[in-house]
Amino acid sequence: MITAGIDVGIAYTKAVVLKDGKVAGKACGLSGGAKRPANVQAIYDKALAEAGVKAADVEKVFATGKGKFDVSFADDRLTEVVTATQAAKLTTPKVTTVIDAGADEIVVGVVEGEKINEFVLNQKCAAGLGLFLESMAERFDMTVEELGALDGPLSVTVNEGCVVFAELDALSLANRGTDLKEIGKALNEACAWRASMTINDIYKQNKDCVVIMGGLVKNGAFLKALERIAGVKFVVPEEPVYAGAIGAASLAAAS
Amino acid sequence: MAKGQKWETRPLDFWNKAKELRAGWQKSIESKEKVVGQGNTFDLSFDWQAAFPAVTVIEDNPVGSMMQNKNEPYARKARLASEVRGWGREICGYQGNCWGAQFLGYIDDGTAWPDRKFVIPMPCVCDQHAKRGQQARDFENMPQWMADRLIYFGEYDEEREKPMLEHKVYCNYRIINDMERIFGQQFDEEECAKLMAGSKEVREYSREISYLMARTIPSPLSVKDLYSVYTIGGLTKIDPDATVQFWRMVRDEVKWRAENQIAAVGNEQFRFIEAHPPSWHYMKYYRYLEQYGAICLGSEYSHGAGSNYEVRPDGSIGLRVDKTYPDDMEMTTREDIIRVGSGALARPAGGFKTNEYIYRDRIVQFAQFMQADGALLAIWRHGVGCTLTRKEQAMYLRDAGLNVIHYEGSQPGDRTDLDEKRLLDQLDTWMESQGLRKVTE
Ligand code: SF4
Repeated sequence: MITAGIDVGIAYTKAVVLKDGKVAGKACGLSGGAKRPANVQAIYDKALAEAGVKAADVEKVFATGKGKFDVSFADDRLTEVVTATQAAKLTTPKVTTVIDAGADEIVVGVVEGEKINEFVLNQKCAAGLGLFLESMAERFDMTVEELGALDGPLSVTVNEGCVVFAELDALSLANRGTDLKEIGKALNEACAWRASMTINDIYKQNKDCVVIMGGLVKNGAFLKALERIAGVKFVVPEEPVYAGAIGAASLAAAS
Repeated sequence: MAKGQKWETRPLDFWNKAKELRAGWQKSIESKEKVVGQGNTFDLSFDWQAAFPAVTVIEDNPVGSMMQNKNEPYARKARLASEVRGWGREICGYQGNCWGAQFLGYIDDGTAWPDRKFVIPMPCVCDQHAKRGQQARDFENMPQWMADRLIYFGEYDEEREKPMLEHKVYCNYRIINDMERIFGQQFDEEECAKLMAGSKEVREYSREISYLMARTIPSPLSVKDLYSVYTIGGLTKIDPDATVQFWRMVRDEVKWRAENQIAAVGNEQFRFIEAHPPSWHYMKYYRYLEQYGAICLGSEYSHGAGSNYEVRPDGSIGLRVDKTYPDDMEMTTREDIIRVGSGALARPAGGFKTNEYIYRDRIVQFAQFMQADGALLAIWRHGVGCTLTRKEQAMYLRDAGLNVIHYEGSQPGDRTDLDEKRLLDQLDTWMESQGLRKVTE
């Protein structure tokens, strides 16, 4: 059976083609603003080409992510917590908590069997952590991976409540000649603190097996800091960035 | 029947009557021939001012809420006017709108701010309710009375009750006497006794309505429907006889619907509660959730601050029976009437914001009374009273097995902080996490 999942995020669109439960093709690209529907199509076409199949061969396409309504050809559209939970269950059946940390949003869900017992979205003022880290990397002339490699003891700190304040702090430090690497460390740490608050907002936590996915996972320093602050050991699936799309494709197959 | 519908639904007959009564109220508050007061009904649970020949009380809450609802640019302007006079940005939206209107001198339709002659703020855990008096008096010289609402923690305590009850009766007595003296109007005791009887009847109807909503599956009425009539006779004060007739009509219709399984939401499959008022300007979310078969049964606020039901010692739930004076208690003097009108409890049984127990423990009872599966609890920045203990309530509800979510809303008189689209996204996630899908899909 061939199905597809398309996760249209605020920053990136991820498409996956699943053949008998295995990833046969995948593609990722910028979602784009006004051109999002066209970009989605192009990214999907790439995934189809990689899988060596045509659109007509795909039995069902499920979409997820904030831009899921831009997938005009989708057979169904699901919210992120549902597709993320499905993706986590595929690789880690014992999952108790799932975290999807993307460019714009962090969602945490507590899983019990077939049910999602509780879920929390980040507060509005904690939105866009992923986008923020990416834009700061660009500003400091680093790649996301280079920024994500900056961890270790802090010599400076930036605001951990709001990225607008954090950016101002970071720029002020830069203006005073602070080493950009030191500021980078502080940025990763501050974002981890803010993200930990979303995890803490869960009333009945179950940290036995916490699976984390989404674009923010690419930042190793952030992830390490979040593990320390939240007191959790994360399980990262093989394809953390594509997880939402994989979850959607898998649910399409099961439907 | 529509797709996914399990039960019959029908439009509500009382809807149009409610519309007509509300329009009448709007007209009455525009009348200039009355002594207009600002504030609340102090601690008499009936429409006491109708016992004066020409006194009208206008509450800031519904007026402020309507300003936000009808004219968003005006409401923003009013709040800014309030802010430049030194009131914090976090002030309750209802008050911010009304105080700003006072400073601006006109209301949202451009007509003059109705001149007020007295103010009776409500003592409340939320300082912003109490500040209504300060603001009105600072603005222009007018008498202010406080009708103390009494708080103590824990179970009913007869010893504490006695002096508190006397104090409460005294406050109410004094307000009426002072008003006679200051405004030269005669308080009509006979009329007052009649009003009390009418109000008692309305209370009984409202309890029955709550009970039918809570205990009938499918519920014959959703809180969305209830809110369309909710303020009639209370915050929007109309003719007392018309109030009684109206609520009898609502009760009869709801009872008939319950007996005949006429549902408010034809595909009811998820029942949820809230805590305190919704975003009045964005009640669309109720209808949105109905697409998933989710019905909102309201909050303790919408059910008479939770005083419509009681949990009996044997664990059963039933209509609340108030501790009252004997029905045959003689009411010969003004004091007798005020005493009976003030109720037999110093601390009101429902006690909206006067009993910490309501905020925490009792929300679980309320959820069980409503047979709820989940709770949608807003948290907001403006106005502190309405969201008091919200997080604690959620903890208690989670322990009781309910599925709870919070959303970042806005005080119902100030829409600034509510991201409507984000709320809908969040509601989609909530419903899907519960395995529910929109019936339209
Ligand atoms: S925030 Fe709520 S409790 Fe406080 S004044 Fe406003 S309406 Fe009253």
